[in-house]
Amino acid sequence: MKNLEKLFAELSVQKLQNQTRRHFLMDCVSKVGGLALAPLLFGCEPGTSAKAPTGLNLSERDLNPLAPLAPPFMGKAKSIIYLHMAGAPSQLELFDFKPELAKLHDQDCPESLLEGRKFAFIRGVPKMLGPQAKFSQHGESGAWVSDYLPHFSKVADEVAFLKAMHTDQFNHGPAQLFMQTGSPRLGRPSLGSWVTYGLGTENQNLPGFVVLTSGGKTPDAGKSVWGSGFLPSVYQGVQCRSKGDPVLYLEDPSGMSRDMKKNVISAINQVNKEDFEAFGDPEILARINQYEMAYRMQIEVPEVMNINDEPEHIHELYGTKPGEESFANNCLLARKLVEKGVRVVQLYDWGWDTHGTDHDGSIDMGLRNKCREIDRPMSALLLDLKQRGLLEETLVVWGGEFGRTPMQENREGKVQGFKGRDHHVDAFTMWVAGGGIKKGASYGITDDFGFSGVDERTSVHDLHATLLHLMGFDHEKFTYDFQGRPFRLTDVEGELIRKILA
Amino acid sequence: MDFIVPLFGRFHPILVHLPIGFLLFGVLMVFLSKEKDSGHSQSIQLAFFVGSVSAVLASISGFLQYHYEGFSWETVQFHLALGALTTVTGFYLTWDFRKTVNWTSFRWKSFSLLVLLLFTGHLGGNITHGEEYLTELLPDGLRRLLGDSTDAEQGLTLPESGWEDLKYYENVVQPILNSNCKSCHNPRNKKGELDLSTLEGLKKGGENGVVFHANDAEKSELFSRLVLPSDDDDHMPPKEKRQPQKEEIELIKLWLETGASFEGTLGEARPAVKLLDPFFERLEVPFYPQTELAEVSADSIAALKKMGFFVEPVHLGSALLKVSCLNFPDFEDADLSKLSSLGGNLAYLDLNDTQISGEILSQITAFPNLTVLKLNSTLIEGKDLATLQQSPNLKHLYLNGTQINPEDLAALESLPALEKVYAYDTPLSGNPAVKKFRFSLETGGYSLPPIPSDTIVY
Repeated sequence: MKNLEKLFAELSVQKLQNQTRRHFLMDCVSKVGGLALAPLLFGCEPGTSAKAPTGLNLSERDLNPLAPLAPPFMGKAKSIIYLHMAGAPSQLELFDFKPELAKLHDQDCPESLLEGRKFAFIRGVPKMLGPQAKFSQHGESGAWVSDYLPHFSKVADEVAFLKAMHTDQFNHGPAQLFMQTGSPRLGRPSLGSWVTYGLGTENQNLPGFVVLTSGGKTPDAGKSVWGSGFLPSVYQGVQCRSKGDPVLYLEDPSGMSRDMKKNVISAINQVNKEDFEAFGDPEILARINQYEMAYRMQIEVPEVMNINDEPEHIHELYGTKPGEESFANNCLLARKLVEKGVRVVQLYDWGWDTHGTDHDGSIDMGLRNKCREIDRPMSALLLDLKQRGLLEETLVVWGGEFGRTPMQENREGKVQGFKGRDHHVDAFTMWVAGGGIKKGASYGITDDFGFSGVDERTSVHDLHATLLHLMGFDHEKFTYDFQGRPFRLTDVEGELIRKILA
Repeated sequence: MDFIVPLFGRFHPILVHLPIGFLLFGVLMVFLSKEKDSGHSQSIQLAFFVGSVSAVLASISGFLQYHYEGFSWETVQFHLALGALTTVTGFYLTWDFRKTVNWTSFRWKSFSLLVLLLFTGHLGGNITHGEEYLTELLPDGLRRLLGDSTDAEQGLTLPESGWEDLKYYENVVQPILNSNCKSCHNPRNKKGELDLSTLEGLKKGGENGVVFHANDAEKSELFSRLVLPSDDDDHMPPKEKRQPQKEEIELIKLWLETGASFEGTLGEARPAVKLLDPFFERLEVPFYPQTELAEVSADSIAALKKMGFFVEPVHLGSALLKVSCLNFPDFEDADLSKLSSLGGNLAYLDLNDTQISGEILSQITAFPNLTVLKLNSTLIEGKDLATLQQSPNLKHLYLNGTQINPEDLAALESLPALEKVYAYDTPLSGNPAVKKFRFSLETGGYSLPPIPSDTIVY
């Protein structure tokens, strides 16, 4: 008996000795993994948290995550076209007329403006830079628009200006993320994803959220600006190209006929269906639906993305040239997509970062060229939406991610070869038009130099709150449960900008 | 030891449940017994006796609570009287039970005790929870039937222009107090002996004296208690009640800081417009007709979706529906019968790019609440528009890309609600023969003529 006890004691000592650091780490891995798995199994997985505001019919949404849903409240608009000028256009050359700034041209910037401020590139004491454009008032509303945008000045009565927008990010990437997702850090869903999640999409043969880019580059923040963050990835923006195949690999490979494709898909779906009967996982149904939608999209997408069939007067209006990647083509596409029931169309035009380091980046030349590229198309977009009655139900938003300084940029303390302005967070101009927006309104007043807003300032969250309101949401109640708490597009901020509502 | 007596008063809400339980149990036993001597007599007697004794305790504590807690006589009089009557009836039944011979009449007496008990309890509940405690959850129709007014205490509302001339106290402060404080601080229910429903009451203050001091908001309990942390016992309104908006608190503060005048105007206090903005009255005319309709069943909506229609309520909870044939391009005249069951529920119908003919318009009258009708790029003809005249709620009519002629539009003039007609890309576009109509007509055909700067590259 005694021997047996001894034997056990030895065994347990041996076992302890054999328990090495590696075993410990191994244990840790499996147990931490288990911890991570627990919330996935029982916690906030998307299916259970969708209770939010949408009151959705779960079974229908399970089958088709893009199934349309009624908005919680009566929305004024049902789609959004967001024109984002990546790089941030200068409000001081376009909409915010500051005659006082002209008087200070080339003088040292007053210390009071610089105190406690940080700029992306300006160091020391920069010179002030007067407005480089000629301003005049337009339309019945008397909106100030510069000669950089001669066509837009004719439609200025259609829009509401936000002249004292402010943000808190002075670098492009974070500022673009903030403007599009409500947070300067990665991981949040974009405005378009929120709206698509909340409302689904009407046309079942097209994506709900389409992204079009122009200007040669995509935004600095990368594709996260139209990402779905913690929302299911089906709500992210689908980037389409205005040149070549609208969606890569949309066409069947040569030798693959439409019928053969159909057979392949129905075979896959048959297998999936049997899988669903065995396991009952709704994700499988969603997958079946995705295959079918992709098959339908193959027909509808090339059709809607083809601008060749538009009449000549429409091409003249927009200044479109089929076959090239341009902001004009994208504007026309945006109208076509919205007409076909697409929920959100997001346009990014790159090339607005006018620091004055080269010709293209100069306020008096490069900026004018950029303005010419967008002036006619965006004015045409407003007119075209208007004449079709689509402007009643569509929101059009225009703006950059921040503004530009009233001072001339002086990176490395040197005078630049061209006239340019640095990034500026305290004041910039955006405009909104369409469903539920008060035409010809102007909200927000900046100081004499256009340096910061003095009254009616509006934040990025305020803008988001207002856009969601017009789409039929209460931005404080439109939430999604993630990591144990509800998240909002507007985080804990945002107030409705009532003065620009019709 | 002064505290003992008021403390006993505060036990009233607990003690009242004893007589309710015991007496109810007694009455139950009486009704379960077919005759007096059915073996329950001792339990019945005990229940009535203990119930009556506890009713005495409840009555005494109730009276003390009334005396010490600032309830007005008008509020409690009936509750108190009925409570006393219940107690007496309880003792009477205890005594009567022993000698009664007519069991049926005793049962009737017990029943009247039950009625007394219920009424007393209900009146007591009204005092604690407010008279609308039970009715406020009922649907509006039912509430009106019960003679209840359905609009709650009107909060603060201001006109968007001319607010400067309003009296700050009368038109701003008092309405804020009415919607946030009055339910517990009124002449009938004076918590803390404070009445905030009138100017006199406010001036008089409560058990701790005056509640406001001109030019010193921090010292004024009228303000300072509002901004205490919500878990502070002195925080007002109590944390389980609806809390005032932050602008309301700011407006109270501003009133105190600018002299707490009972005569001054709002304009003199120079409030930031942001503070007033949430209270501006905005007359919003609802876009869709206001009707009370039964919702279309989920099954019929699902069936329509299966056929290829897009069908959704105009917003969650609305009975009015939006229907679109966006995913149903083969829709033709005969298919309209599939929608006919929707009737008044159909408010928005999009038939763009479908195969319909003008004849379909005569059937549109089956949808009296139709507000938006889209007929873009269809084969409808101008002469068919005349049949639309029976659509009393039609506001927006889309006729883009159709063969509509100027003379056809006159038929629409008699549509009472019609606001906008879109007729871009029709014979109307750019046609000088189009005259002015009562509704706004959009014929489009915009252009942006080329200008020299279009071609200048810098």
